[in-house]
Amino acid sequence: MLIINGGTDDAGHEDPGHPERPERLAAVMKGIEDLQLGDDLLAVAPYAASRSELARVHESTYLDQLGAFCFEGGGDLDEDTYATYDSWALAQHAAGAGLAVVKELRIRGEGTGFVAVRPPGHHALRDRAMGFCLLNNIAVAAAELTSLGERVLIIDWDVHHGNGTQAIFWNDPNVLYVSTHQWPLFPGSGAPYEVGGLEALDTTVNLPMPPGATGDVMRQALEETAAPVIDHFKPTWVLVSAGFDAHRADPMADLALSSGDFARLATFAASFAPRPGRVALFLEGGYDLAALRASVSASLGALLGSSATTEDPTNGGPGADTVRTTRDARQAALRIAHDTSH
Amino acid sequence: MKPIHTIAVGFDGSEDAKTAVRWALTLATHCDAQVVVAHAVGLLERFDAKNVAVELEESLLRLCDESGLEHSRAQLEIEDGDACSVMLRMADPPISADLLVVGTRGQGAHAGLLLGSTSLELAEHSTIPLVIVPRASTTEQSQMA
Repeated sequence: MLIINGGTDDAGHEDPGHPERPERLAAVMKGIEDLQLGDDLLAVAPYAASRSELARVHESTYLDQLGAFCFEGGGDLDEDTYATYDSWALAQHAAGAGLAVVKELRIRGEGTGFVAVRPPGHHALRDRAMGFCLLNNIAVAAAELTSLGERVLIIDWDVHHGNGTQAIFWNDPNVLYVSTHQWPLFPGSGAPYEVGGLEALDTTVNLPMPPGATGDVMRQALEETAAPVIDHFKPTWVLVSAGFDAHRADPMADLALSSGDFARLATFAASFAPRPGRVALFLEGGYDLAALRASVSASLGALLGSSATTEDPTNGGPGADTVRTTRDARQAALRIAHDTSH
Repeated sequence: MKPIHTIAVGFDGSEDAKTAVRWALTLATHCDAQVVVAHAVGLLERFDAKNVAVELEESLLRLCDESGLEHSRAQLEIEDGDACSVMLRMADPPISADLLVVGTRGQGAHAGLLLGSTSLELAEHSTIPLVIVPRASTTEQSQMA
């Protein structure tokens, strides 16, 4: 069963000509329709995250300022990020959608969650909007879960590093953040030597990929470098920052994945869930509408056992050397951090 | 007080940023410092496939000539990220700037708003001294020179 929240009423968050646009969500919903799930699709009711739920990961001053900014009509928050009059309410619902999906999964104890919302969230910092993101949707859900005593694995396969999520959980030993991303690229963070704060060493795993990298290299990095850390961490929940802008057709970056690669990534992520009903995907980036539709369908289809046709997984791109140097850099950074902490 | 060897100044091509760069270049002539002119490449700049490096380099050379600073003492640094994050990184190796300089507001922010102001964000987070150069300082800058 696929449990979703989102997909409607997001038209108020739009800036003409901006790539983060309502048509993205329409493409996502078509990708879900392509799976023809019938009774296996459950849409949970919209819900606006409360002030206290947002305040777990965002500063109160920022929440006040963002709300006021929108109510005054909005505008540009930085070179990339906009907000409209409606954005505050839509961002609250985007954050609440994750909470609603996680709650439904907890009640049912089965199914796969998909949070199909915009604006996206993984660049949003505690005190700042950034990179098209206003509120950090996946962080709000992860913080809810850790407040219940859970140990949360966040896998972020968006082509951009999720600097906001990493920063929010930098010193939280109950959240393991694993990111694959093109590097160098916006936002400029996500180096392999970023391994977590002194209170949570080895709970951040960054796997930078060179331009042109294909799915085989990404899987190699995840299996060789991230998997042992995840096994040691023993997550009780798996949340995914599912951006689809690493697809070869996406105009925002230069990785070379196919929809079939996203299917494999989804299978990899879900393999770490200790029991059914513990996996939820959160929409992040993805700006080529056809690739977005196909990649959503492929990744969710892989988790639901669908036989939907996908593009073949890719291989042969650059980056095998990067996998090794990343692993070496991580180990060196961990040694230095351990020496510093003692 | 720590001597100023390296000044990092934000540059997005706006008039406010040019004022800040002029101020930083002039200061450098007085304290024998190097100037790193930092340009942040955001998501939309990449999406629009802009390549502003040549334009920024030419602009920087003109500003150096105006300020009387040898070209070799100013370098353009183009980095991925938002303006605030890129400027904060200038304080870290390998740049290790001793002073950050920015204009009051660049291309992305709105006048009079606390949110979206790179200069105010930097004022809150910078670990090294920060100078926010108001637009009106053009005249003062030329007097200083």
